[in-house]
Amino acid sequence: MFAWLQGPGRGLRHPLKGSTNYLGAYNARGELVRTKGDAQGKRTSLAKPVRDDLDEEDELEAIREREKADNTEKSGGKKGNELPPERPQDLRPFPLNTYFKSQPILSEDLREEIWRRVQQDGSNIRIVSAELGVSIERVAAVVRMKEIEKRWVAEGKPLATPYSRAVLSMLPTTPFSPGRPPIVHEPINDLRVHPDTKHQVFVPVSESRHFTREDAGKAFSADLLSTEKRIPHPELVELEKDIVNGVEPRERIARARERMRQEEETRQKREEARKKRIEESVKVFNSGNRFMFRFEECNAEAVGKDGRSHKGVGWRYGVPHEDRKKGQVKIPKYVL
Amino acid sequence: MVVRIRLARFGKRNNPFYNIVVAQSKSGRNKKPMEVLGTFDPIPKESPPGERGEPGEKARLVKDIRLDTARTKYWLGVGAQPSEPVWKLLSILGLVERSFREDQLRKQAHEADERHRAYWAAKAAESGSLSTDSTATITKAAPLDPQ
Repeated sequence: MFAWLQGPGRGLRHPLKGSTNYLGAYNARGELVRTKGDAQGKRTSLAKPVRDDLDEEDELEAIREREKADNTEKSGGKKGNELPPERPQDLRPFPLNTYFKSQPILSEDLREEIWRRVQQDGSNIRIVSAELGVSIERVAAVVRMKEIEKRWVAEGKPLATPYSRAVLSMLPTTPFSPGRPPIVHEPINDLRVHPDTKHQVFVPVSESRHFTREDAGKAFSADLLSTEKRIPHPELVELEKDIVNGVEPRERIARARERMRQEEETRQKREEARKKRIEESVKVFNSGNRFMFRFEECNAEAVGKDGRSHKGVGWRYGVPHEDRKKGQVKIPKYVL
Repeated sequence: MVVRIRLARFGKRNNPFYNIVVAQSKSGRNKKPMEVLGTFDPIPKESPPGERGEPGEKARLVKDIRLDTARTKYWLGVGAQPSEPVWKLLSILGLVERSFREDQLRKQAHEADERHRAYWAAKAAESGSLSTDSTATITKAAPLDPQ
């Protein structure tokens, strides 16, 4: 170990700035493989002065500036002692495990852009997801986290900026460069496995029949939708169909907008109905002391004739309470 | 035997939860009732965000009652007698009149408040220097509604 520390491991004592620092990027002599050709295996560094005297609110800004500088430098081609971008081999933290590749994370710029588009421009998260190549769940998560961050900054709470800076400097990131086509961060349209499709089904089908994806869904379960409707971005399929059918670009965009508008309308209708239902069924009474009483109407007859239905109100009789059982979900699954 | 509308305690230790049930008065507390009318959660919870007025409004502490009012009215109509705690809940919902005892207690509390206020007012007048802090706290405490 000491031999390694004195020899090939010596260079790793001072991590490279603006690059991953995985063992896989070095050869047996401790030389950075991707710079071997042009810099004689010397460890080149992008080190920039890290300003520690800044306020924490300013530090995020500093990170963004640094990233911007990095981007411009990368786009500006090779300069003096600049590191070339990592090759796929350099993204392996464990050199012997060739299947483990370090996945990029969203850069601070890209996160800020996602938040801006959703919260300031009022874009649908689905559109933002498709435009920037980030999955819908991640877009939603970024918006939530950004909101919290901004609230904390407004409240003057300290942020863990040094930690964020350290992580961002050590992992590969997906940059955001305005004006250029966005780099796809991850596959956004992956089909999630539906539990109904986990078993084998043998369905005899006559040769003359067109067995479509629609039928395949029905073969698994009567109300299972077809694949192209269950993916996160079914609207992209519609768009692609229009392209294949040779619809004019202007017409295509108009159609896509119309579809989006209809979808938004139904969503709003559903939301309003839900709010109305809550307003009608839930009343809040002031009892005169410090607590309010929230009253909700229910149906006592929903338990059914044997009194054992799950739909009934209240604690059930003669049924064990399984809250300690493995796999019970205890966190709320929906928000009122 | 009397039919009662009463609470049956479920839930865990330190975490009570009640079914509001219709049962024969002599039957055990948690025995199978004639009917479950609803539930009462006595532990105050923050009201869900969807039910607050303005988007940024602070959550109120609410105790949750779920009840089938139609069935409750039926059982009251055929002579089922609510127990004291259930009477209290039903009176909040306006299904029964407030009990005589509770009316009295409220009246007493109101009178005590008045006396308290009068005492501090007199004291303030006596000393001449009006201590704003104490009067502010007294006027802030909303008196119970005697009606």
